[in-house]
Amino acid sequence: MLELVGAWLLRPNVVAFVILFLSGFYIMVTHHNLIKKVIGLYILQTSVIFFLVAVSAKTGATVPILLPGANPVDVALYANPLPHVLTLTAIVVQVATLGVSLALAAAIYRQYGSLDEDEVGKRLE
Amino acid sequence: MIRHLPALLFMIPFSVAVSLPLVGVRHRQWCHPLALGAVAAMSLVAGLNLGAVLTYGASRYAFGGWAAPIGIEWLNDELAAIIVLTLSLLTLTSLVFAGGTAPRTLGGRVVPFYTLILLQSSALAGVVFAADLFNVFVFLEVAALAGYALVGVSGGRALVSAFRYLILGSLGASLYLLGIGYLYAATGTLSMADLGGRVPELLTSPAIVGGLTFIFLGLAIKMAIMPMHGWLPDAYTYAPDAVSPFLAASVTKVAMIVWVRIMFWVIGPNASIEHIPVVTFLDELGAITAVAGALLALTQREIKRMFAYGGISHMGLVLMAVSLGNPTALAGGVFYLINDAVMQAALFFLAGAAIHQSGVRTLDELGEFRGPAWLTGALILVAMSMVGIPPTGGFFGKWNIILGAIEAGNYFAVGAVILSTLLTLGYFIRLFERLFTAQPETAPSHVTPPSLRISVAGVSAAIILLGVLSDPIVRVLLELALPDGM
Amino acid sequence: MIQRHDSLIVSILGRGLIPVTQLFGLYVLFSGQQGPGGGFVGGVILATSMLLSLLIFGTDASQSRLAHRALHGDGVGLLLFVFVGGLCMIGGGEVLNYAALEIPGLDVAARRYLGIVLTQIGVALDVAVTGVSIVFSLSASNGDSHA
Repeated sequence: MLELVGAWLLRPNVVAFVILFLSGFYIMVTHHNLIKKVIGLYILQTSVIFFLVAVSAKTGATVPILLPGANPVDVALYANPLPHVLTLTAIVVQVATLGVSLALAAAIYRQYGSLDEDEVGKRLE
Repeated sequence: MIRHLPALLFMIPFSVAVSLPLVGVRHRQWCHPLALGAVAAMSLVAGLNLGAVLTYGASRYAFGGWAAPIGIEWLNDELAAIIVLTLSLLTLTSLVFAGGTAPRTLGGRVVPFYTLILLQSSALAGVVFAADLFNVFVFLEVAALAGYALVGVSGGRALVSAFRYLILGSLGASLYLLGIGYLYAATGTLSMADLGGRVPELLTSPAIVGGLTFIFLGLAIKMAIMPMHGWLPDAYTYAPDAVSPFLAASVTKVAMIVWVRIMFWVIGPNASIEHIPVVTFLDELGAITAVAGALLALTQREIKRMFAYGGISHMGLVLMAVSLGNPTALAGGVFYLINDAVMQAALFFLAGAAIHQSGVRTLDELGEFRGPAWLTGALILVAMSMVGIPPTGGFFGKWNIILGAIEAGNYFAVGAVILSTLLTLGYFIRLFERLFTAQPETAPSHVTPPSLRISVAGVSAAIILLGVLSDPIVRVLLELALPDGM
Repeated sequence: MIQRHDSLIVSILGRGLIPVTQLFGLYVLFSGQQGPGGGFVGGVILATSMLLSLLIFGTDASQSRLAHRALHGDGVGLLLFVFVGGLCMIGGGEVLNYAALEIPGLDVAARRYLGIVLTQIGVALDVAVTGVSIVFSLSASNGDSHA
């Protein structure tokens, strides 16, 4: 058991990712307010993006931008650029999801006059 | 030109979709013809593509000129070609159907509707072709976002269902992305062909197992496998009648195709962890979904909700079939998936036509409904296919699934197929009992527009055609669509 | 309907900040070729500038006319992206293979450069329009509607 905790403490990135993921999931599931559910979803997606960035980081590495005239290229000095690309695209998807969800929440508010899930459920009848 | 066909299949609806808002500012009445023309062109190109693939074999299309594993590739093989052809033909029929009912049921939001349908069909074509895990994620999310907006496009009760669909669908996509992150961290590549070489040896690594589990969980939410199916009944029931057929025929089926690709191209069909086959648990999950979905359909009162649960049950059957691990079951499962897409579209066309005709939504209201002969006839045909009576396509699909289950020695699966068939028969008998013992007071008031009749006739013909052509299609799927090593 | 902000300080600061923000957005867009930046971030900064004008001066003010005009450009950016991709296909290569753009007088590296710049401009346009339209859809009340 103790070596498990030791292994966790050696990887603070992954522990932070797990904490963020579970907090986002908990908020999404338990809160009644629609906007808080959206915030929970956003935190969950951000945690996954954080995990992707954590995969690409190396100790002592620099930004993966190749300056002209820098040769030969030592790969170990640069952070891995592929997860950065995945991150950029995932952030755009996250923002688009946020936009659609906020538009839907605003439309629900205009239609039913409330943002609380139970209230809207009652008014649906 | 032939090699560009997959890219054209994506570009044609996509470019029309992004130009519709510009056109729709001044000329709203051009949206329907433009969208119809775009999807007709897409269907034509899909047919040409299928012909090219059957003649010349599979091909790979590297975007930007960068070949895999550095670049992003599309794999144009027989499976993808058949699925894209099915999707584009079903989109065409849905747009024809929507032309008849659209302005009334959409509440005037015509331009967003056509834009979103074209965006979603182009993104789904991209999902089916993509041979790179992250490309699948991007297109899956574009299709999903268009789907969330489509469910809520006309406002009203559907907004709450659309919100719930959004929350659950985005959760699924995040889990899928997390799985991709784990797989990348463990292997360093994202292309399916490359992963197929590396993953089978590494199956004891917790990162790979965790990644594949997350990918399956994410896709299972999108496929609406129980118990992750909660978004589907509400979304399909309350979506506008012009939208439900298209959604029901496309979204969950394409997610299943992604899982088939990952299961057979990345993991490999005979993979096992410590002598337990990886896919052992999945066919039981599929069997539970098949039986429970049909059981829940039996208890529903609203017609569209009943058909939605029927769709969930069929997706469970397909999951069970593709997890059995032998070629017959896989071919049967994919053939049944194509049939299910056509059948779901037909069912929701009929439900939409009934609503358009007399406002009939629940089984009790069916008592006052006197349907025109073509509607009742088409309903009988679709019911035959859903239950699995020859010569419709549904029979041949279930036949191949049962053959594959017997070949794999899995009699539990055979029992699940038979049980779900009996339950499907049960709820259709319930539907027909209400329909045929009706005491209508008045004759139907509206004259059905011809577009409704054309779309229903189209899908009915497709059901019969799939039954008649089932042997060649299944043979193509068996020989050519399977990866090497099966 | 967003009302004009009451404070004088905010209005004066806004009048100075909004053009600077737009210039910065364009700079970030074009500096993405050599360093961090590019279409997405540039588009977001451009959207921020239009959003600033909406929040400070209100939806109906003359300073917010650009934001209203931007609403009609829904899809122009993606159309540009698809156009560049289609040009590459017409030129003989795969979609988005910028080396196949048939522009006389440019070598392969310059063609790729030009292709990337054009697509990033398209992306920035689309992201800016999306940002502004999200703000409009959230701030509309029951009486407003736009096609």
